Amino acid sequence: MEGEKLEDITYSFKLFEGMQRDNLGYIYRGLFTQNITDNIISLAENNLETSGESSKIKKRVFSIMVECLQNVTRHQAPKDVPVNDPEQAGIFVIQNHNQAYQITSGNVIEKNLIPGLQGMLEQINSLEKEELKAYYKKILEDGSISDKGGAGLGLIEMARKSGNKLFFDFKDLSSQLSYFYLHTAISKDSENSFDSIDLNNIKNLHEIIIQKNIMLIFNGCLNQDSLISLLSIIESQSIGAVEVKKKLFNIMVEMLQNIVKHGEKKDDEMGGNPGIFFLSENENSYTLSTGNYIAKETVEPFSEKLDHVNSLEGDDLDMFYTKRLLNFDIDSSKEAGLGIIDLRMKSGSKLLYSFSDVNDSISFFSLQVTI
Amino acid sequence: MKPLIIEKTEETPEIILNPDTNTYKISYRSLPENANGFYAPVFQWLEEFAQSPIEDIQFVFELEYFNTASAKQIAKILLILEKIYQKTDLEIVWRYKKEDVDMMSSGIRYSKLLDVEFSLEEVPDN
Repeated sequence: MEGEKLEDITYSFKLFEGMQRDNLGYIYRGLFTQNITDNIISLAENNLETSGESSKIKKRVFSIMVECLQNVTRHQAPKDVPVNDPEQAGIFVIQNHNQAYQITSGNVIEKNLIPGLQGMLEQINSLEKEELKAYYKKILEDGSISDKGGAGLGLIEMARKSGNKLFFDFKDLSSQLSYFYLHTAISKDSENSFDSIDLNNIKNLHEIIIQKNIMLIFNGCLNQDSLISLLSIIESQSIGAVEVKKKLFNIMVEMLQNIVKHGEKKDDEMGGNPGIFFLSENENSYTLSTGNYIAKETVEPFSEKLDHVNSLEGDDLDMFYTKRLLNFDIDSSKEAGLGIIDLRMKSGSKLLYSFSDVNDSISFFSLQVTI
Repeated sequence: MKPLIIEKTEETPEIILNPDTNTYKISYRSLPENANGFYAPVFQWLEEFAQSPIEDIQFVFELEYFNTASAKQIAKILLILEKIYQKTDLEIVWRYKKEDVDMMSSGIRYSKLLDVEFSLEEVPDN
């Protein structure tokens, strides 16, 4: 059991490494509601604000995010489709690579709607900037708005704002249903446009996410504001029992505040410490994982603190908590902080952790808590 | 003494320390990143108040959630209240929502650490 879990935490690190190359990476999979959408946007806002990106690019990223999220929210549940089926849940991904913000959304679609949708996308892609504008006006005047309020205006907007084509793909789910991927790239430099983008990477990533039943991945600079947005997303989830949700919330606060307070920067990241957080759901349990840089010289003393906390049980753990609660000199201590002890107590199991070398002065710390 | 009133936010509690109405209460939730900084004015106020406290004080905690950084600050507040208790009648009331085991056990933990009148009160969940 223990061995299997440790393997799982190494897998987490691989996922971290894969995403760490981008300085913003954010994936949400699940039910989309207004509240969740708002928080996804404020999370991205928070990261973009501190990225030094021009306001023109920021505006474009926001408006495309909004369109994408609205698309998924509107179309996430065709008739008779159970929303809680992991394979059929909507997905939203934003990444920062190849000198562009790459935004992908995904949702199930009834197969009989594909030809119409595909035709519309191809039509939009065939038009140049000015033609798109005219097409937009024409559709507005025709007034042929679909019952879900679409008519492709959102898609045209996305194409106009991104300055790139709309990239899309489908995946077969059943005789009636497919999964629809829609991808937009917002180039940071308008000279740098994309002719084609291979969506296989995203499709593979989606596979892994479904397999591991990951609900949320956040990779970016963590500060108190991004923490609050992440917490609000969790609060909006329809997670089983109240106690479970509360526990999840508590554990998230301690794990993420640890990064905000004790994480290291590798380069000159602004607006917080770089870190990764993800949440996955397994049968009757949730696994929270975090990863962040720490100074290499702290690896050994920190491991000792963690091992000590892991070695304690029941009353001993409780007494240790009280002892640390009343210790008011911060940062000078050779003993584990209250946050770590709290995680151990709340999770009811030993804390899983690992360190990986990054360079001569920095290591990467992964921590996993299951409740 | 001038009252100290701090309005609640997403991450910090509502704090009312008001000798005029004889109300002393910390409620909602507390998860500031810099708990030390947030609670500094509270300690300052309480230390001054402790010099010449008024009679019959009921100090209420009605928190839904606090992070470990706030847990330490709450411990500090309680230690000041213990000092005040030696001078005047003071009761600490620790309220927790029905079935909130975490808040109840936190209350029990604090009550064991203090030599003060301390009562735990279950309140209905909304």
